[in-house]
Amino acid sequence: MKIIVFNCGSSSIKYQLFDMTKKEVLAKGLVDKVGLHGSYIKHEKCGEDSVKLEGEIIDHQAGIEYVLGILTSKTRGNLKSFDELDAVGHRVVHGGEKFQDSVLIDSEVIDKVKECIDLAPLHNPPNLKGIYAIQEVLPNIHQVAVFDTAFHQTMPKYAYMYAIPYSLYVKYGLRRYGFHGTSHRYVAQRACEILKKDLCDLKIITCHLGNGASMTAVHCGNSIDTSMGLTPVEGLIMGTRTGDLDLGVLTHIMQKEEIDLQTANTLINKHSGMLGITGISSDMREIEEASQKNDERAILGLEMYNYRIRKYIGSYSAVMGGVDVIVFTGGVGENSPSTRLEVCKNFEYLGLKFDENKNKGLRAKEAIISQDSSKVTVMVVPTNEELMIAEDTERIISALK
Amino acid sequence: MAESLADYGLRKKVKESGQGQLKLVGIIGGGSMGREIIQIVSQRGINVVFIDLTQELIESILKDIDAALSEMINKWGLTQSEKRAIMSRIKGSTDYKEIKDCELVIESINVKQRGSSVEARKEVFRKIEEVVSPSAVIASNNSSLMISDLASSLKHPERTVGLSFITPASTVKIVEVVRGLETNNITYDFAIRFVKMLDKKPITLYESPGNISTRLIITLINEACELLMEGVASVQCIDQTMKIGYGLQFGPFELADRVGLEKVLKVMNNLYQEFGNEKFKPSPIIKRLVRANFLGKKVLKGFYKYENGKIISQAITATEFN
Repeated sequence: MKIIVFNCGSSSIKYQLFDMTKKEVLAKGLVDKVGLHGSYIKHEKCGEDSVKLEGEIIDHQAGIEYVLGILTSKTRGNLKSFDELDAVGHRVVHGGEKFQDSVLIDSEVIDKVKECIDLAPLHNPPNLKGIYAIQEVLPNIHQVAVFDTAFHQTMPKYAYMYAIPYSLYVKYGLRRYGFHGTSHRYVAQRACEILKKDLCDLKIITCHLGNGASMTAVHCGNSIDTSMGLTPVEGLIMGTRTGDLDLGVLTHIMQKEEIDLQTANTLINKHSGMLGITGISSDMREIEEASQKNDERAILGLEMYNYRIRKYIGSYSAVMGGVDVIVFTGGVGENSPSTRLEVCKNFEYLGLKFDENKNKGLRAKEAIISQDSSKVTVMVVPTNEELMIAEDTERIISALK
Repeated sequence: MAESLADYGLRKKVKESGQGQLKLVGIIGGGSMGREIIQIVSQRGINVVFIDLTQELIESILKDIDAALSEMINKWGLTQSEKRAIMSRIKGSTDYKEIKDCELVIESINVKQRGSSVEARKEVFRKIEEVVSPSAVIASNNSSLMISDLASSLKHPERTVGLSFITPASTVKIVEVVRGLETNNITYDFAIRFVKMLDKKPITLYESPGNISTRLIITLINEACELLMEGVASVQCIDQTMKIGYGLQFGPFELADRVGLEKVLKVMNNLYQEFGNEKFKPSPIIKRLVRANFLGKKVLKGFYKYENGKIISQAITATEFN
């Protein structure tokens, strides 16, 4: 079975072509600057050098048509014709309360995704454009939507509600939805495969630490709490986002700096987080370098970053009544041994015994980084959202047959 | 090595541009409003070419836009990398040929000399038409002259439209889209789409001197001058009444100072000429201030005195200059 996975952003489209029989990637690429000056596609057929194809890509429709053109071309293609293609999977950011799982796309699903635009005005519209583009070019192919929010729909109501007037929840759906669901689900499942244990028996805390970052408490395979909320601003300190913040701080800033809502939004999303604290960068590598040179704010930033993660591990252990596995993933989680080391300090009371040797120098590889006698298993599992989307697509398409 | 995408289209031609995608906008004149328009258009991801008279002017305009964007960063509204991207989309030139590929050109010139600017703007329209493609839309930001008048000497007057921005254009969420006598539907719809691309609400109207905004605000300023001349209240009290009492962004005097009193005077004269109605006849106070070079905020004195861009006191009481 061959499946293409699309992740359509506002001016970019990421794609991967999978052969599901071997679960291998046949080709992947990025369509960039869609609708802008200087648009191009960077395409890589696996086993060959990547190639940059330049030309005008006026919208998502055109971008996807070119991708399909490349994938079926004689020179760079993997497919003889579209008959070889079985389905298309799409990442869709917000499924609101309507979707608990990935679904086969039909007109009803599209209408529901449209209804969620209010909750993700920057993300859902380009996701929909990708779906429309495939409908136009390959009207008979099955398409599946995989939602960032779906995995977290198992959160209990007391975990997802905000303590604001209930009428606002009813009126606008204001509640915590969480994001990175596909990643949290993938690494939780993958960790169990590696440990050869049943997902249903474990209490897992997954830490997706990238430029955006979130954590999830996975109990018996279900997300029961996650750190992001209605928007991705809540929770952990991120590259440029505040994470948890006293709302009074925001209203105070707005008053003192005389800024409007839109600017306040930029402040908490783009000027804050590690960049805001350190004044150096949003990139953890640069901050770690600066801290090694004793830059005070870099050191402070890292302390704050790690402390916030530890607080969440503590609270998620509390709500699950313990923790069996802690999984690190995402750019920082996979590549920063020092972050993992600092985060895992002071958890001896939980029975966590960290293995500094296994952790040292470990980057982007599946590994267990706790000692064999540790009651809590600490792991690194590189995320693979595209594969998860492809697997969901395969599962849903297979059930149709 | 980069290859061409064209070889990989599924159909012979995947899709031609020109279907609602706007790549390049030309702006003629980088005065205060021209600058604001250059900035908001480029902030929306559209490339801009602007034309002004000299290379020195062009450099100072670019410097001003750079400074305005830096101020936004200081005020948390923008990031460094966003600023770099915006600046990279802006190009200035003294040569009209540079706008030849523009799909839309907006005239926003400042005419310094007294009297009507109709002829100068007509000349700009002609120069634009000489270089752009027959399908390009030609717009004017001017709000007190008739778009049909400016279009009258063009070969294709049906491609003209009024696009009247209100200062500060970056925050005011509307643009008046003015339909001239000959403006065709393609042009008008294009202009509306453009305004929506700027994330603003298009206000649709037929041409009339002063549109909606200028006609109403000019009468407000004129009547405020009457109150002042009669000694009824101070500049501050009149401004505060309208600003706080009616939630206007600026009081009438503060607004006049921001626009520039010589411009206010010019607009009043235009409207007075068009309508012949006394309510548009420029108040003697405005004439006096303009003669004395009290032109408003940019020269640090008008109805108010300014320091570092902020009002420090009123410059006049009733009919006396302080």
